[in-house]
Amino acid sequence: MMDVRATPFHARTAVLNPGNAWTSRNGFTLATAYGDRDAEALAARTTAAMADISWRWRLRLEGERAGEFLSRLCTKNVAALSPGVALKALWLSDGGGVRGAGAVARLGPAAFTLYASAPDREWIGSAAARVGVAVRDVSDEDGGIALIGPYAAQILKAAGLDPALEPLSFRRMSWRGLDILLSRFGEHGGYELWCQAEEATVVWDRMMRAGVPFALQPAGLAAMDVLDLEKGIVRPVRDYEPARTGFAAGPTPASLGLERLIDAGHMPFNGRAAWLAARERETQRLIGLALESQDDLPNAILLAGGQAAGHTLACGFSPALRRTVALAQVHAGFAEPGTEFTLVSPAGPVPGRGTELPFLPDSGQIPP
Amino acid sequence: MSSAPYDAIVIGAGVSGLAAAAYAARAGKRVMVVEARNKVGGLCETARFGEHFRAPVAAHALYALDPRVVKDLALTRHGLAFAVRDMPSVGLRSDGKHIVLPRNLAAGTRSISIHSRADADAYGAFWRDLFALARAARTLWWEQSAGGERTREMLARLGYRSASAWLDSWFESDALKAMLAFDATAGGATPQEPGSALQLVWRAAQEMCGLQGAAAFPKGGPGALAEALLASAQAAGAEIRTGAPAKRIHANGAVAAVELASGETLACRAVLSSLSRRKTLLDLAGGVSTGFAEAAALARARPRVGAAKVLLALSAAPPFAGVSVPLAGRFVVCDQPGGLAAAHACARAGELPEDPAMEMVLPSAADPGFAPPGQHVLSVLVRPVPLVPVQGWPALKPKLVERVILALERHAAGLARHITAAEALTPSDIEYAYGADDELGGAATAARMLAPWASRVKCAIAGLYLCGASAEPLGAISGRAGRIAAVTLVAEQER
Repeated sequence: MMDVRATPFHARTAVLNPGNAWTSRNGFTLATAYGDRDAEALAARTTAAMADISWRWRLRLEGERAGEFLSRLCTKNVAALSPGVALKALWLSDGGGVRGAGAVARLGPAAFTLYASAPDREWIGSAAARVGVAVRDVSDEDGGIALIGPYAAQILKAAGLDPALEPLSFRRMSWRGLDILLSRFGEHGGYELWCQAEEATVVWDRMMRAGVPFALQPAGLAAMDVLDLEKGIVRPVRDYEPARTGFAAGPTPASLGLERLIDAGHMPFNGRAAWLAARERETQRLIGLALESQDDLPNAILLAGGQAAGHTLACGFSPALRRTVALAQVHAGFAEPGTEFTLVSPAGPVPGRGTELPFLPDSGQIPP
Repeated sequence: MSSAPYDAIVIGAGVSGLAAAAYAARAGKRVMVVEARNKVGGLCETARFGEHFRAPVAAHALYALDPRVVKDLALTRHGLAFAVRDMPSVGLRSDGKHIVLPRNLAAGTRSISIHSRADADAYGAFWRDLFALARAARTLWWEQSAGGERTREMLARLGYRSASAWLDSWFESDALKAMLAFDATAGGATPQEPGSALQLVWRAAQEMCGLQGAAAFPKGGPGALAEALLASAQAAGAEIRTGAPAKRIHANGAVAAVELASGETLACRAVLSSLSRRKTLLDLAGGVSTGFAEAAALARARPRVGAAKVLLALSAAPPFAGVSVPLAGRFVVCDQPGGLAAAHACARAGELPEDPAMEMVLPSAADPGFAPPGQHVLSVLVRPVPLVPVQGWPALKPKLVERVILALERHAAGLARHITAAEALTPSDIEYAYGADDELGGAATAARMLAPWASRVKCAIAGLYLCGASAEPLGAISGRAGRIAAVTLVAEQER
């Protein structure tokens, strides 16, 4: 699919991107980095960073049975959500393979929005149609920015927004004439601000202006990916191939470290029986890996004690840790932190050591 | 013990449903059968035709009835008797060189030899080969066992083979190949599709009235089988309610109740549905009890090809010219083996095939009770026909009768003069896509035929079992799926 679209913030991000470092995700053109990737990633830990997250797939689900349907789709009880609150969950194929992960927010009694890093239109759309739930892809209707870092709340306050908001909740508000939605669905303890596409540049400008005293830095996609890596977050398509067919048995939630997104007591979700059955046989684990290498080595084979032990997924240099780290899928027998691995790389063997995930906690606290 | 008044509710009082009900009731279960129509029997129905005739409405011969069902449910004691136990197969040819294949191999060989010496020589070996393979396959198709590994391997190989290629490897004459290939179209596939060879084996594996690969006609027609099953089920204590269509299966993790169209809700511990997989899981259980992918696959698999029926009342026996044929036979009208594929393509496109393939039975020749003396009733099954024709069935009905009469005239000149009444029954009239509500195509049909029983009988929700044609390896009137589903249910409830 050659579907390249600009985000509603493109007029501003283009000006900030003199190096013309662009990349695409979900068909959206996004700045890879506005300057130095490492500085942008560090800003999210030391001051504040602002990123265009309009590339996230957003699906509106409406109908009397929308809650019931989402409870069937997702691995947690969506029907029990109160309006104004969200939960994070997976959705699985019939065979128990992970098809996607995302946040489901309840807008009202019969209206929800699903936020995800990769689209899964056909799967959700056709199943929703069978139970009379209307779905609409709203990814193009609004723009979103993420505000991450210890000073994120203060920047919001300076911009005239009340930052008092629990994680996994959201609030619609009027911001000096603009209708916006402020949410905290992100993985990095920050905020997201969703606005009408045509008002996006105004929102961007106001935030940048409010952020000046706090050294707010625009962050490109590369810096955001580094934050995910440091937090041990895997995303479909970018880091792993999700289940593509309806009956696929893999990848399993456990092999991706995603079981925390499943409520085992939630009965009706699709793929539950297959997931439970496969769980007993599961041999793969997701671990962190600290590497003695300057190069990124994604999708590299791992050896341990002379045996094939697994492979790396995402890999990159963490400026906060000042070393190269990777996420790796390994055999359960090698999942113990401290296990020594050897990576097979084109430049020769690279030593690595297994560590617990996440490498670093949230970046949301103000340093003492 | 659960407070639900019924251990099992059976949906549909056809042969499968009644067999399932009888088995469950005999095991001491409290069983209720709900049937949408005002009578039981489903595809096995004998009805009045005109003033003086009777006719089998849908199925007109039995070839797959499970001998264990007959024995276990004491169907003979409950009134089942056969008018003809072994109907010879007759391939009608327009040139009068009909092929008659009775059980006697030598007679069959003689009949084939007028078409091809080589085929006559090969026929005995073919028959022995087919029957031996079929007997070996019974372990897989008869019971819940997995079958021997060698059998599975052999069958799996046939699962990739087409019936036409297999028959081509044995025979040269189109007359013989076309006649035999017709039996490979029961699953809604063409004999050219991979996997269709397996359907011939399945057919040969059946043991009707203790005779391998036979076709039989019950005294009183197929409706008599339904009556015997009904009597057996009622004697075992099953309740039957007709005129009570099921609307919804309520389940929350496990089956809880069946809601009828009248609004009444019957609480139960389990449901045995003799409806198709799609009707059961999508329409009745609302799709919420299947996986998303399975629901999507079921919704996609809209069948497009089925069978229709034409009934003709005749003032005299059909005047078949040429080789003399036994009137109490099973007649196959299919000129060319390739014609079946063309007819299938035509039917899929929503048109009535120019030269339809047909299977005919003269019930009056088997059982004199079907027509006044000297007169006859001819039951013609036309397959394939479109399920949803472009023109619509009301406009197509007269055309269907016309085509059938034209085709009959070619094989029995002067038959049209004897016709005193005619009636066409569309696929929806007889609810009859030959068991295949979920059209699979050859390869998928083969995969289903080789799958273990549990995969067809059991569903994702606990307490829901399929016991009809969808649960059979290949849709047919056998009662076997009813037996196996009921036995599975009893075993699981007692665990």
